[in-house]
Amino acid sequence: MNNYILSKKLFRNELSTFYSFLIGFIIALFVGSLILLIQDKNPIDVFSLMLKLSVGSINSLSNSLNKAIPLILAGLGISIINSVRLWNIGAEGQIFMGALALNFFYINTSIQNSALYIFLLLTASFIGGSICILIPALTKVLFGVNEIITTLLTNYIVFGLTIYLINGVWKDPASLNFPAAAYVSELVYLPIIVGKLSSGFLICIIFTLLAFYIKDKSVFGYEMRIAGGSELTAIYAGISAKQKAFLAMLIGGGFAGLAGGIELLSQTHRVSTGISQGFGYTAIIVAAITGMRPLGIFLVGCLFGALTIGGSVIQTIGVSSYIAEIIQATTLFGALVAQFFFSYEIKKKVENG
Amino acid sequence: MTVPILEVKDISKTFGKVKALDSVDFFLQKGVVHGLLGENGAGKSSLMNVLSGIYIPEQGTIKVQNKKIDKLNPELASSLGIGMVHQEFRLIENFTIKDNLTLSKANIFLENFKEAYLKYSEIFSLNSSYNTLVKDLSVGEKQKVEIMKLIFKNSAIMLLDEPTAVLTPQETSQLKISLETLSKEDEKTIVLITHKLKEIKDFTETIFVMKNGKMVAENLQTDEVSDKHLIELMMGEIKTISIRKDNLKGETKLEVQNISLINNDEVNVLNDISFNIKSGEILGVAGVSGNGQVELANVICGIQQEFNGKVLINSNDVSGKGVKSRKKLNLSYIPENRLGVGLAPGVSVLDNSAIREYFKASYGPHLSKGKMVNYLNDLIKQFSIKAPDVKAEISTLSGGNMQKLLMGRELISNPEVIVAAQPTRGLDVSAVESIHKLIINQRNEGSAVLLISEDLDELFKLSDRIIVLYEGRIIKEVDIESANIESLGLAMAGINE
Repeated sequence: MNNYILSKKLFRNELSTFYSFLIGFIIALFVGSLILLIQDKNPIDVFSLMLKLSVGSINSLSNSLNKAIPLILAGLGISIINSVRLWNIGAEGQIFMGALALNFFYINTSIQNSALYIFLLLTASFIGGSICILIPALTKVLFGVNEIITTLLTNYIVFGLTIYLINGVWKDPASLNFPAAAYVSELVYLPIIVGKLSSGFLICIIFTLLAFYIKDKSVFGYEMRIAGGSELTAIYAGISAKQKAFLAMLIGGGFAGLAGGIELLSQTHRVSTGISQGFGYTAIIVAAITGMRPLGIFLVGCLFGALTIGGSVIQTIGVSSYIAEIIQATTLFGALVAQFFFSYEIKKKVENG
Repeated sequence: MTVPILEVKDISKTFGKVKALDSVDFFLQKGVVHGLLGENGAGKSSLMNVLSGIYIPEQGTIKVQNKKIDKLNPELASSLGIGMVHQEFRLIENFTIKDNLTLSKANIFLENFKEAYLKYSEIFSLNSSYNTLVKDLSVGEKQKVEIMKLIFKNSAIMLLDEPTAVLTPQETSQLKISLETLSKEDEKTIVLITHKLKEIKDFTETIFVMKNGKMVAENLQTDEVSDKHLIELMMGEIKTISIRKDNLKGETKLEVQNISLINNDEVNVLNDISFNIKSGEILGVAGVSGNGQVELANVICGIQQEFNGKVLINSNDVSGKGVKSRKKLNLSYIPENRLGVGLAPGVSVLDNSAIREYFKASYGPHLSKGKMVNYLNDLIKQFSIKAPDVKAEISTLSGGNMQKLLMGRELISNPEVIVAAQPTRGLDVSAVESIHKLIINQRNEGSAVLLISEDLDELFKLSDRIIVLYEGRIIKEVDIESANIESLGLAMAGINE
């Protein structure tokens, strides 16, 4: 049976990533249906209910899009860092760090102009995300330490720090036994655009375009691509590969930090463990499915936001919300397998004919 | 004529749409050194792979000692005494010479290994104990072990694929003597595969020539055939470009003053190197690789920024400055390592084409794709590059087209100074010709060229002057008129008479 070999296709269809996603999603719906059938539920009923309650009205649609914001922003951060072929597994920690930095800035300052205050608070959350990835970035460029490990480990450190703060110095006495920091003033809540849709979504759109511009249209994006392709080529071209990697990591971390900031100012309004429900990890799935394309991350982020909302509402009819996570994960799995078949082909071995 | 020890008739082998072997006849006489000549891609290696049982041909017959062999496979070929030395060595680096030699189950010198080793290490002048680890040997020594491996497993027919590609001139002539001894004393049948004319004339008694998968000449007697005839057979037609060596030389463009460099292992890799190159002049740098060539190029091109000494381009001191300062003074660097340094793997053809001048396609932080595409289209047209899809990865181009893209990118702006390292390594004859033409055109346009090459023929053909690097020093400097291959070869080995 050794007569077949795998060979890399020279040319890939430009839309292959999109097709892979579709195939993955269809496989995921199929797998989800099977699980529902085993539980004696009618998949069509469940899915149509999910659809109705996630996008069926202005309110449910805005709930879905609100959920999409952290997924999209963290996913964009991951995709920027991937321009230099590095992986950021630490978006979850960066989200928390963004919220912590925002709260730190909030506690220590007082500004009357609420628009300016919101702007400065969100800037603080961006910087917080950057600070969170600073150590992985430094150890990467100085000593070549694997960033997958270090960014993953910072998640635990930052989560521990969050627990420490909300049980200690930041603990709000009014929250009784629930560990959480004090609420921020309503003055700095992000305004609602329509229904329940937070204006954070507009920020999200702007940052999607910004990430697209950085990656595809800017000199910096070009330099990141070359540095990611080969460090020696970058040096040969007069590009400091280490500098690009460092900057890419700080910017990408900042995107995830901003997600935490927006989540705080629009959803939780205080620092608690509820700042992120695994958004930083789901964002990896979102970024990977789309082949790290910002516009794709935006669309898939919206879809995954809707799935999360849909998943939480079907609990009311006795279906576990995990069905949404199963669909998300299976989509990635299916899309990766499909991408594999778009990139490789199985050929009959010619040598031994 | 005696019965051939091996004879193949009418062999064909296709890969997809490509006919690698097209009804090829070939035969070997016992105890004779045969030459198999042809350009890259002519089918030499395919034929050898058929003989060693790796490829199964679609048609044709194979006879060994007049016995027809039906289904040749690697094991059977080995037991019939057919052995091959591949271009990439197949030695176990962490094993000793002895372990490598006796590894094969066909090994015939298990009992009297010591005497056999003594005999053959003398024939090959291999001065290492058989307890030496292979990883501690030089490339030339490894090759000797690789050839001895065939003897130890009793191969009567030895197929050697481009054995001289990695050797110094001295090692090459040593190999010649060893092979002669083997063919005369042990009656070994040897096939030397090469695209180097000089070697085939030196080494062999009879020559076969392949072109485009066909055997175009059989059993030519080496003494009787002329170089010109062989080239005609190999290349179809001779395209000799006459190179004026009385080219106009202008003012000094590149000046290198007393450069010394100590690397991280505290080895003096460059030692007091000084030279200058005028406009319209090609300075050839000869030397076995690893004698400071890469370091010298990196110093001149600004990749290595910490060194002692001075580099001046058009009288501007650029020592201590980076790559971009050189680009501003219009220096181009064609690095030895094409894919990995000159071109970034995994990145598109378009992105790779802009590496030298991408900042010219920028407005502030914005990079204009339109300008990049126009620039690439100019390159494709001017240097006739075949690039089917510019958004595809660079590795979708063939080696020759990659090098053309790299050369084109570095040459299109008529650079003042060009540093070219091994620009034709691994390319076939026609690609080599077109690269040579590009370099000469550039020289005639008034560029100062530093040409680093291990190929002495190339250096002789293109250079106005030649310097030889040995252990980081300039051991010899000659004008092309007074240069001769032998003394340069000796200088490459560190001997300067």
